[in-house]
Amino acid sequence: MANARALDKRRKSVRNIKKITRTMELIATARFKKAMDRAMASTEYTRRITQVVTDLANSGTEVKHPLLEGRDSTENAALVVLSANRGLCGGYNGNVVRTGQQRLDELKDTYANVKLVVSGKRGLANFKFRGIEVHEGYLHFEDKPAFDEVEPIANEFLADFISGKLDRLDVAYTKFISSAKQQAVVETLLPLGSLDDDDSEDTGGANNDYEFMPSAESILEEVVPASFRVKLFKCFLDAAVSEQIARMVAMKNATENAEDMIKNLSMTYNRARQAQITNEIMEIIGGVEALNN
Amino acid sequence: MATATQNTGRITQVIGSTFDAEFPEDGLPAIYNAVKIQNDDGDIKIDLTGEIQQHLGGGRVRCVALGSTDGLLRGLECVDTGAPVSVPVGEETLGRVFNLLGEPVDGRGDVNTDERRPIHRDAPLVTELSTSTELFETGIKVIDLLTPFVRGGKAGLFGGAGLGKTVILTELIARIASAHGGYSVFAGVGERTREGTDLWLEMQEAKIGDTGRSVIEQTCMVFGQMNEPPGARLRVALSALTMAEFFRDSTGKDTLLFVDNIFRFSQAGSEVSALLGRMPSAVGYQPTLATEMGGLQERITSTKSGAITSVQAVYVPADDPTDPAPATAFGNLDAFLYLERSISSKGIYPAVDPLASSSRILDPQYVGDRHYTIARRVQTILQRYRELQDIIAILGVDELSEEDKTVVHRARRIERFLSQPFLVAEVFTGKPGEITPLEDTLRSFEDICDGKYDHLPESAFMYVGSVDQAEEQARKMEQES
Repeated sequence: MANARALDKRRKSVRNIKKITRTMELIATARFKKAMDRAMASTEYTRRITQVVTDLANSGTEVKHPLLEGRDSTENAALVVLSANRGLCGGYNGNVVRTGQQRLDELKDTYANVKLVVSGKRGLANFKFRGIEVHEGYLHFEDKPAFDEVEPIANEFLADFISGKLDRLDVAYTKFISSAKQQAVVETLLPLGSLDDDDSEDTGGANNDYEFMPSAESILEEVVPASFRVKLFKCFLDAAVSEQIARMVAMKNATENAEDMIKNLSMTYNRARQAQITNEIMEIIGGVEALNN
Repeated sequence: MATATQNTGRITQVIGSTFDAEFPEDGLPAIYNAVKIQNDDGDIKIDLTGEIQQHLGGGRVRCVALGSTDGLLRGLECVDTGAPVSVPVGEETLGRVFNLLGEPVDGRGDVNTDERRPIHRDAPLVTELSTSTELFETGIKVIDLLTPFVRGGKAGLFGGAGLGKTVILTELIARIASAHGGYSVFAGVGERTREGTDLWLEMQEAKIGDTGRSVIEQTCMVFGQMNEPPGARLRVALSALTMAEFFRDSTGKDTLLFVDNIFRFSQAGSEVSALLGRMPSAVGYQPTLATEMGGLQERITSTKSGAITSVQAVYVPADDPTDPAPATAFGNLDAFLYLERSISSKGIYPAVDPLASSSRILDPQYVGDRHYTIARRVQTILQRYRELQDIIAILGVDELSEEDKTVVHRARRIERFLSQPFLVAEVFTGKPGEITPLEDTLRSFEDICDGKYDHLPESAFMYVGSVDQAEEQARKMEQES
């Protein structure tokens, strides 16, 4: 049986770990609520604006917009991977990087140049370990990504796409489906048209009566890029919420595991302690008996 | 041995398996002399040999009974034989089974040898010891890689109850003795009689190489199993050793000595120690624990005239290797394997703990740089895995850095690859035993450490010989699914 003091020391360190994981769980819970409120607030807006764009695209107007058109060119593609700056959130980072890498390999098969953009320290480290070159990295996105921060990135992609320097943009992130389910997914954000499948179903063709003032072109000019920015922003928001949920779940499990471990260690410790005491008593009594005879 | 000056004394006291006798003061038998007590008058026939342990003064001596003391009476006559217990030695002993007194117990009649030797002898002098160090290949991966045995050295198998010490020992007998030209001596010390019978039958079936002769023809066995009184278990190892020493000294051939289980020797000593009036020492063991063990172990050694390679099983009470008995045995060994319960509970046999086991010759000087580097790499990976185990238990594998994930990935494969199908366990596992040459072992572990087999599933590494078989097993598994 292991030495009682070593066991006690180990139990203490596990207790400390438990304290940390428990605190992190509480913090993640608080942050998750805030992040979810933000994500929820933007969900509705994103949905509506996506619907408007879809409706416009389907409304039969003659107007074309470059962001809505698919391209035949297979020159340049970009992949954005949204990971977290911090670990201790279970498989969150691992999953999104794995999904991202799969898409990256597919893109590399078809496109000549694939630009890889990664947000989050963990993702950057992960790609570096795998020996994959990252062209651009962001570290400033925490649990509350601001629209002002995402906008410049979106604008850059827009400019590149319109000027023909970019033919396709994919985003790998963890989609927030419900508080019990998040999934690492890859979505194609540019060209915009390719994404609308899931939302367009419920709209039907009923209320497509739009009147354009002053003209369809000017409206589209405004709405389509806005829709892209919002969508990209939504990805960041989803990623932030998912990260907090992942951390919450991971830390909850960690706390429970630590508790189990403490229980086991306590049992072994008590047993070792008792064995040691019994042994000492036996030796003393044995010695006394031997001296008496 | 019946001389005119035979001294006779009378029993004055019987305490458990020890007794006191009174001799005339001018004819006191020497310590370690054997005394015989015979009595046909009572209800119980007595034919007992005792060994003098102490002179108590006033003509009284204290003896350990080497048989049962049932029916022993005060006043019975005991006769000093004038010499310690002796056993027959020579080629005639091969193929036979003895008890500690050198009496055959296999029912095949008497053994007539030219010579008998006393079981108490001094260890060979330092100047007579052999100085060469050579690796002894067993074909068991984990042993050859991490705890290489020394030819003419001593190896110990430490383990708690039911971890497979006896299985490994029988396996080693099957592997070494059947490929070995010299003689083997097996000492059964305080273990189950059934195991002894099994071994005896098995040895009759096993053949030495292609010679067509069975292993038993080159082996002699000495048993003092757990049904025997402590005195018998205390001395049986010495009897076997004396026979082995004869083969070493007189024939010059390499001799193998297997002992199962050396702990019972210490245990028997502790059983009689208090009865002999010694004060118990740490954990209730006899104060002479180290002396007794040293006296035995120092004799199991290789001299310039021949080598004794010995493999000993050592029971570890309550899985606690710091217990004085295994701890004392430990220091005397060249290679030692520690069997770990947590490994056996994963179903990995032999359940050798790759980090707690070691060998004196795992050193570039003896095994060469390549072997040493590979062994250390394997240990480093497993060590890191063990350190990470707490983190994995609390936070999960996902929280590890990528480097550590790779380490864990490989460590789990190495862990499984250390298992091996045994020749003697074929009936249980349904897999034929694997003898893996050292070169294959080294190559396999090197490649796994290099990550060449990271793509194979973990279960493919269970119970295979070389890594090529792991690949084959992976292919088979894929086809089945």
